[in-house]
Amino acid sequence: MGLIKAGSKDKPAEVSQPEGDPLDRLENGDAAERRHAAHQLASRPTDLCVRLGRESDASVREVILTALVRGASPDAVFGLLPFLESEDAALRNAVIETLQQMPADLVMPYVGALLAHEDSDVRIFTVQLVARLPHPERMARLIAVLDREPHVNVCLAAVEGVAEAGRPEALPALERLKTRFPDDPVVAFSVDAARRRFAAG
Amino acid sequence: MAARGARGGKPSSDASPAEYEALCDFLRRRTGLAFGENKRYYVERRVAERMVAAGTGTFREYLDLLRFQASGEELQLLVNLMTVNETYFFREKYQLDCLVNSALDELVRDWKKGDRIRIWSAGCATGEEPYSIAIMLLEFWNRVDEFEIELHASDIDSHALARARQGVYDERALQFLPSHLVTKYFAQVATNRWRIIEELRESIDFAHTNLMDPGQTARFRGMDVIFCRNLLIYFDDLGRREVAASFYDALVPGGFVFLGHSESMSRISSLYVPRRFPEAIVYQKPRNDGL
Repeated sequence: MGLIKAGSKDKPAEVSQPEGDPLDRLENGDAAERRHAAHQLASRPTDLCVRLGRESDASVREVILTALVRGASPDAVFGLLPFLESEDAALRNAVIETLQQMPADLVMPYVGALLAHEDSDVRIFTVQLVARLPHPERMARLIAVLDREPHVNVCLAAVEGVAEAGRPEALPALERLKTRFPDDPVVAFSVDAARRRFAAG
Repeated sequence: MAARGARGGKPSSDASPAEYEALCDFLRRRTGLAFGENKRYYVERRVAERMVAAGTGTFREYLDLLRFQASGEELQLLVNLMTVNETYFFREKYQLDCLVNSALDELVRDWKKGDRIRIWSAGCATGEEPYSIAIMLLEFWNRVDEFEIELHASDIDSHALARARQGVYDERALQFLPSHLVTKYFAQVATNRWRIIEELRESIDFAHTNLMDPGQTARFRGMDVIFCRNLLIYFDDLGRREVAASFYDALVPGGFVFLGHSESMSRISSLYVPRRFPEAIVYQKPRNDGL
């Protein structure tokens, strides 16, 4: 035994392609079948998002989300946004990551409404999303949160966002935030930490 | 973009930003290779070289050739120029140590003698990695004779793959191999040229494979270990996700992925469990598939 020569794979694929409508196979009991179907359905973002809401297999979810990034369509963004309200932290985080990988121009138009959402958790997730969106409005959005957002935890998420971005233009807004929450030691600590990060470059 | 003129000189690079973006987008979708504005000079130099060779006068013509050529030959030639094949034997050896000292022993814990192990070197370039794996198995894994071991290797660069099959290397590629292993596994064929012995060349199945093409990666199934080191750094986020998903389908439950030292599967996909072995961190497909 030991090393043996494998059968050659360097020839045209003789792999049988799955048969049938990918939409039907997306409901198949076999996770591998659903992954293959999801991969083929990048042009059907609405259907993928509907399935995502019911899908419990992490590997299928991942392929659905990857297909949505590949399709990069407005419908994909629109279909993903409701998952920011999901109680499933793994799914929610995966959706945030996926939205960050979509064209920022498709995502940014929804940010205003999300930052006004009644649920402060959704606003926090939105700030986390915005913080890594490669878009010219990103800093303005985060600074607006620092200046106007009433919930301190949302503000703290924005502090983290501007600190990670390393953009000193947010410094005045950070100072204003301290005056908005003068008795909150966590705000003072976070702002000071952000300032140190700017200083360190 | 205009290629080098009849009187020679350096290849010029006057692609419009939109044209350059169109080329990068095409390459990313077809191959997973991601080039940004910071790589513009690198990309344009190679495109200009291929435009001269292909006889296309304008960038637009060349892009059309890439897009619509039925054989895909020009895309392959451009990809061959774009890919980086700089490597050597026993590169990042701590990971190879991890394979033979830790990962394989765990993998075969409940296996019986004669069972088959499948290892895939994805992005093998000129072959140093799969041959290194073969040497490590033969020299340092004390259970190597108990199992049947298939070694698969693939790359998108057909020229690199041809060199891998040939198995001829210079001194630089062998610099980290102990001399007794060079003596044992190579034959000197010229000054500063050594060829790996036939037995090892024959033991590896080399296959031309585009990792972004599910039709091609579908040929790799039932893999126990995948090495994909220092390749995904050339892919964008989407390309990495697609490859991670392909590997997931290729691996058996409990199978391992070895990435390069600067790469982390945790930043690409949540599907794998990071495993900290004494020698290295590797990524494992969960044993209970889907849970």
